[in-house]
Amino acid sequence: MSENSTSRKMLSLALLIAGAAGLAAALFMDFSGSGSPVRGPLLILGAVVFLFGLYLFPTVEHHRSIINFIFLFPLLFTFAVTVIIPLLLGVFYSFTDWNGIKFNQFVGFSNYTSMFKDPAFIWSILLTFLFVVFNIILVNLVGFSLALLCTSKLKGVNFFRASYFLPNLIGGIVLGYIWQFAFNNVLVQITAKTMGMQSSILSATNTAFAAIIVVYVWQYAGYIMLIYVTGLTTVPKDVLEASQIDGANAFTTLMKIKIPMIASTITICTFLTLTSAFKQFDVNMALTNGTGSVADFMGSYLTNGTQMLALNIYNTAISKNSYALGQAKAVFFFIVLACVSIIQVRISNSKEVEM
Amino acid sequence: MKRKVIAVLLASMMAFGLAACGGSNGGNSDAGTSGDAAGDTTESGTSEGSTSASGDTIRLVNGKIEIDAQLKKLAEMYKEETGVTVEIESMGGGIDIQGTLKGYYQAGNMPDIFVNGGATDFGNWEGMLEDMSGEKWASDTDAAYVDEQYGTIGFPYTVEAVGLAYNADILAKAEIDPATLTGPDAIKAAFETLEAKKADLGIDAVVGYCAEATNLYWSTGNHVFANYIDGGLKREDTTYIDMLNDGGKLDEARLTDFANFVALLNQYSDPALLVSGTYDQQILNFASGKYAFVTQGSWIGATMTTTDAEAYSAAGNFKVGMIPYAFQDGMDTILTNSPSWWAVFSEGNKDAAKAFLQWCSEDKAQQVLVEEAGFISPYKSCTYVASDPFAQTIIDYQTAGKTSAWHWLGMKEGLAQNYTGQVFNDFAAGRLDAAGFVKTMQQVVQACYAN
Repeated sequence: MSENSTSRKMLSLALLIAGAAGLAAALFMDFSGSGSPVRGPLLILGAVVFLFGLYLFPTVEHHRSIINFIFLFPLLFTFAVTVIIPLLLGVFYSFTDWNGIKFNQFVGFSNYTSMFKDPAFIWSILLTFLFVVFNIILVNLVGFSLALLCTSKLKGVNFFRASYFLPNLIGGIVLGYIWQFAFNNVLVQITAKTMGMQSSILSATNTAFAAIIVVYVWQYAGYIMLIYVTGLTTVPKDVLEASQIDGANAFTTLMKIKIPMIASTITICTFLTLTSAFKQFDVNMALTNGTGSVADFMGSYLTNGTQMLALNIYNTAISKNSYALGQAKAVFFFIVLACVSIIQVRISNSKEVEM
Repeated sequence: MKRKVIAVLLASMMAFGLAACGGSNGGNSDAGTSGDAAGDTTESGTSEGSTSASGDTIRLVNGKIEIDAQLKKLAEMYKEETGVTVEIESMGGGIDIQGTLKGYYQAGNMPDIFVNGGATDFGNWEGMLEDMSGEKWASDTDAAYVDEQYGTIGFPYTVEAVGLAYNADILAKAEIDPATLTGPDAIKAAFETLEAKKADLGIDAVVGYCAEATNLYWSTGNHVFANYIDGGLKREDTTYIDMLNDGGKLDEARLTDFANFVALLNQYSDPALLVSGTYDQQILNFASGKYAFVTQGSWIGATMTTTDAEAYSAAGNFKVGMIPYAFQDGMDTILTNSPSWWAVFSEGNKDAAKAFLQWCSEDKAQQVLVEEAGFISPYKSCTYVASDPFAQTIIDYQTAGKTSAWHWLGMKEGLAQNYTGQVFNDFAAGRLDAAGFVKTMQQVVQACYAN
């Protein structure tokens, strides 16, 4: 037994070393810019051999955790490559003067200080908060009303459910351009005939912002409706029947029974709309691309009247070619969103305990 | 049984997926190019053999997607003549080319020749581009991009012009001689005459000027504003662009004259187009003979003869020309330049790339570029004339020496899209008057340069 174990240990160690060497060689080739065709296979082979060596490692105590690690490895690796490493690199670049190609020097916190001195960025933050508030209220109100409609005994309820949900299946960019056409080419014809207004509502900041909200509610309310429909169908029938016998009308039933019974659904929907409205990008970009003027904000004339946070970051990096500044804004955006998400998780968890 | 079949199918799909991934890991440098790029390669075999035969393959990133077919034809001709394969990868139609190129750089997938649109773009690649001042073509043109420090780093391939384009037939009918329109007063008088005769001439509006800010910011913020920077100046005069790049300073007197001229455009433009129109609408209406003037440059000739060909021939294939945006008396130049240049990446296959560019400037290639792609050749030795409606006008101005340069290409990146385009829109919508336009412009441009 002990001899067997020793030979197994030797084999395991040999495999571990060979695998690590393979990995190191492949990575070295990558960083030194070699175009050798064996680089990729060597990397995969090295990883497989290493993991196999790990599996053969003779231990009873840690065997279970080793198996856990091996099974989790592909996912962890992918997560690291696509999320963790870019995140760290992003934070790193936000302290440099990176231009998307190379960086020359570290600039400390100057990207962070200059972004808060820019009235246009402050405006974007405020506008995003305003958009979030409007959307939480409107999307939930519309979604809930549609859900009530779709759980009533109307004819063709399934058809309505499907058609309300449909806008959510169309991508935001496509949808934005369709609505841009509707506003710029169709609505203008109507307003020109009735009111003599020859410019589209997308050309003035206030109305353009309203247009973005309308399109966004139109897109998102169907999705929220589906969640409310699920919530409403879980309300027990016997409670509803009992209230009917007691003589409660439809409104009282709604306020006193249905809404309290789906409180957790409301929490979920509120947070869903909150985070998605924060991240609003595609409809904003397709409809106005941030245009619109603000005559006087913090003493300056702004030309990004409808530009929300995500679009501001994108335009800073891509169209103004300030990658490092855009990256700093993105780090700030990440912190805000992380706070929102943590609060959301806390609240939903405590609700679950109550129930 | 059914379940087993599905399991086998799924397993083979997974295996296939793995194999495909493995293949792209195998050092094939071209696998990173996007799907449509793969379709662009002139010969399907080249992507696989590129590592071994890289000496005979060069890759060109073209920024004018509309001439993709013509460039591929050039690549085929070049392959027949010299055996060197040229892969053409065309981008355009709203793609951020510099952004894509940066991605290519990060991925180690740089093309050998790629497009650059001006000082800011060239600045991105500082020290990475080949100096081509020794090439034969460099002495055959005035339009090359010359950097003070790095020499001739941009190869010009066409000339475009910015001016106030007009419908010659309508002006002739209204008895206006375009040659006399060299000052704001003359232009104003002409606009008034045309406005009065609108019904007789069958036009909807005098000018097709569109200041929409979301999709057409480049027309106002770049091309119309270019006249403030270069209008009436000598080609090498950089007074106003230097002022601008020195923290965003604008000359108030000149800008006020410019604002008054833009106010004229606002006043006589088609109100349906002015604030929320589209490019397609603007060009279609001009091609249909509904406007006497249009605020677009020579590139609309291609649209008029292809996309809008039907409307254009219905309107009698009228003659066109250009007058200067003469916002001050005596301005008699239109703005002509190479709109972008091809540059050679110095870590790429530079000798083959340079040889290809030299070949492009010579007779055979010029014939294709001029006669089929509709380019106006920047090379003095070229004898071909494009069939483009604006070609003759540009050549006339060039031979008369009445051209100014396009120094707006050196403006800070994003200025038009994020700042000035919106100010033109506010002016057009009546939210600003001429004085407000001047004041706002100064403040907004300074804000742009401060960030």
